[in-house]
Amino acid sequence: MSKKSSPGLPEAGESLYRKEPKIYPRQVTGRFARLRVIAVWVLLGLYYLLPWININGKQSVLFDLPARKFYIFGLTFWPQDFVYLALLMISAGLTLFFFTALAGRLWCGFACPQTVWTEVFIWIERWVEGDRQKRMKLDNSAWTKEKILRKSAKQVLWVLFAAWTGFTFVGFFSPIRELGAGIMHFSLGPWETFWTIFYGFATYGNAGFLREQVCKYMCPYARFQSAMFDKDTLIISYDADRGEPRGGRRKNDDLNEKGLGDCINCTLCVQVCPTGIDIRDGLQYECIACAACIDVCDQVMDKMDYPRGLVRYTTEHALKHKQGHVVRPRIIVYGLLLLIIISGTLWGMTHRVPLRADLIRDRNALYRELPGDLIENVYTLKITNMDNAPHHYDITVLNNESVEIDMSSPLFLQAEEVQGISVRLRIPKSAGQGVQTIDLQIQAKDDPSINKLVKAKAMMPLNFGSQ
Amino acid sequence: MKKDKRPIAGRWSRQKRDIGTIVWISFLAACIGTFVIFAVMDVDALNDAWVLPWEIGSRLAYSLGFLFLFIVSLIASGLTVFMIRTGPRRGHARGKGHPPPPEIRSPEDDNPDLDLGDWK
Repeated sequence: MSKKSSPGLPEAGESLYRKEPKIYPRQVTGRFARLRVIAVWVLLGLYYLLPWININGKQSVLFDLPARKFYIFGLTFWPQDFVYLALLMISAGLTLFFFTALAGRLWCGFACPQTVWTEVFIWIERWVEGDRQKRMKLDNSAWTKEKILRKSAKQVLWVLFAAWTGFTFVGFFSPIRELGAGIMHFSLGPWETFWTIFYGFATYGNAGFLREQVCKYMCPYARFQSAMFDKDTLIISYDADRGEPRGGRRKNDDLNEKGLGDCINCTLCVQVCPTGIDIRDGLQYECIACAACIDVCDQVMDKMDYPRGLVRYTTEHALKHKQGHVVRPRIIVYGLLLLIIISGTLWGMTHRVPLRADLIRDRNALYRELPGDLIENVYTLKITNMDNAPHHYDITVLNNESVEIDMSSPLFLQAEEVQGISVRLRIPKSAGQGVQTIDLQIQAKDDPSINKLVKAKAMMPLNFGSQ
Repeated sequence: MKKDKRPIAGRWSRQKRDIGTIVWISFLAACIGTFVIFAVMDVDALNDAWVLPWEIGSRLAYSLGFLFLFIVSLIASGLTVFMIRTGPRRGHARGKGHPPPPEIRSPEDDNPDLDLGDWK
């Protein structure tokens, strides 16, 4: 290896690394490049289209922050359901762990928004400015008319795409059709304007300029992921046993005679690398597992009539010719945890009661004595119908049949309606002294499974010494 | 020259310094945050707006508020230190403390059978 002695001086427009640290990755085609294109279309397709699709008359995914309601695929999540969202986040994290342990940085190479949006920005760049050679030449040339035109065309396309991204992002929080109309009529609110611009700007900066620097310097997952690795995790690796000693050769050279391995040292694997590393130096934390080096090396191997896979998805065990295991304690633990949390979440979500009721004591008065040895306590019943249908409700006292209930209005709530109803409980003195707990059951008339138990703390007079 | 690894009396190791700084600065940040938040927010109002099934008293609210801010600050400053400590060494952009960039050459140089036109 001539690493130390390589000054990396620019020669023939190739090694511009030291002088110009900007990385111009060579374009790759091949199996994994195709996979990434599919991932980009699917993921960005979901991102840009989902808000426009309605389910049951509601936007399919809408996080309505002011109303504190989340609509996700026809389900409505209320503030008190936030535990499901927390569980959802935990399952997402565990899924990441699981796949990292199984197949390394799949997330980084194919699914991370950073990768996905960077890919689109590079498509735009390539479309406007041409391939790697042309881009490097253009960057180094004087500001000719063509350069100004191409550069500004790229910027315009980037900004438009970023703005559309920002607009869609806000569309997940504010109904996107109204948002679109608002943009048409220049009547967006200040918050919507701010977040559209902010998120658009973030997309532009991250995907247009920062690119893989985000992965190298800013991403915590890139630093943590090695903790989930073991010797059976799929990694992208150069087969040094097969490749070394590397060196240039003609196609029909006898390798034994020349004393060479299969690596022809064309350095194409370095030139396609978006993070600018040499995969032949071994596993490095900068590697985002995009598999561009695999694609390009396979093509070189094809050209040389060598078998493919000098750089390939493999495991440390496989490289050392040891027995590998797909199922291992780490996988089982992550998998089991994932299974338990996901099934628990699903069970909880399908079994939640779409009714919420809280009884809040009137703060102003303790109690009132009424004729007929009755004691009156006043409450406000805050009741929420979390169902998608209207319901009439019955309210009954469970633990004392002689308690009378007097309500300011009958219990009828429209879908997703919240009401505050004044409730008076008239309790006979014989029920006890001091604080008494009255159990109230609220039940939908048309569906007994929708019911809720609320406990009312009732104040009763203390009769010291008498009776 | 071999580095002397014996600790010097009265000097903390880098790890201890990191932890001490993270905890203390997060604590200060959480204090300021708690002051500001509860200066403008009435804790009693929390009870009506509270969505969790248990009731929250004012002392518990203050404690939870502080604890929450403390934990968030701890996570932020801890991660920051972690990212800086585990990242590339100082000066690596200028080639110091980090291996030099990989050598790049034209694929055709020593391999006359390759055609660069195949890779744009």
